[in-house]
Amino acid sequence: MESSETQPESKKMALAPLVFMRFRPAWAYIDGIREFCRFFCQTTFGTPELADRACVVIQESLENAVKYSSKSVDSELELSISSNGSDIEFSVSSLPDAEHLSSLRDELNGLQSLDPEQAYLAAFVRASNEPDASARLGLARIRYEGGVELSMSEEAGGRVRITAAGKL
Amino acid sequence: MSQFTSVQVPKAETLAIQLSAPNQLKLTGTITQKDPSNDLAGFFKALHNAALADRLSEVRADVSALTFVNSSAIRLFVDWATWLKNERGERYTLLFITSRNVTWQKTSFMALMSLAKEVLKIEIVS
Repeated sequence: MESSETQPESKKMALAPLVFMRFRPAWAYIDGIREFCRFFCQTTFGTPELADRACVVIQESLENAVKYSSKSVDSELELSISSNGSDIEFSVSSLPDAEHLSSLRDELNGLQSLDPEQAYLAAFVRASNEPDASARLGLARIRYEGGVELSMSEEAGGRVRITAAGKL
Repeated sequence: MSQFTSVQVPKAETLAIQLSAPNQLKLTGTITQKDPSNDLAGFFKALHNAALADRLSEVRADVSALTFVNSSAIRLFVDWATWLKNERGERYTLLFITSRNVTWQKTSFMALMSLAKEVLKIEIVS
């Protein structure tokens, strides 16, 4: 039997939705949502290692989404977790301000030109060389520590979806 | 009198900070606030300056019970390592005591070591 990793995309089992949340982009919610997702992953999949990875993905992606959300009334965040038993996907949809959108695109493109470990090390070097700039470690940390690949899709109405997909 | 242990310890909501003579800092809890540098950047800088003034050969930063941090908090450790790395005079070694059971510490302190291995040491405890 082929493993999910070696199957062509069309043969992979579909991801089933397990968690869906919609909430206002407020910093105060992040700790609670992260800890719920830790509990959920630990309870559902039984691996503390996955629960820790989930925490990093949730914390950093929600921080980014909250920091850069527009002030519009339509700016609720959507968080979902899906799995098919061998893969897991975390997805955060937000309505960012336009200025952030292009820097997010650039940041993701830059990250994907390096493997996750190299990209994380490069982010540390950049942070060290630019002490007065913002850290910009978060996305590189999601990839490396979270063990996931990141993708971005732009949706109707200016919404942006960041998806972090990896193995269970 | 030790300047290191005289540094004023800030209050932080989810973090306990202990300073003990002659050179030990212990952080317990989590750091996930929006801008942790407001509470901690000045504190770490004061510890760095005090360690230089005291001519300490080593500062022991026990983070083994720091169970989760955001990347803005990791940035604070990058800054501390960078100040030390860029120090031209007599300088100390910064020893991070980390836990093998805390996932974020394995990846982030490995990356920090690659940045400033000449001034950092990592001790891993269970």
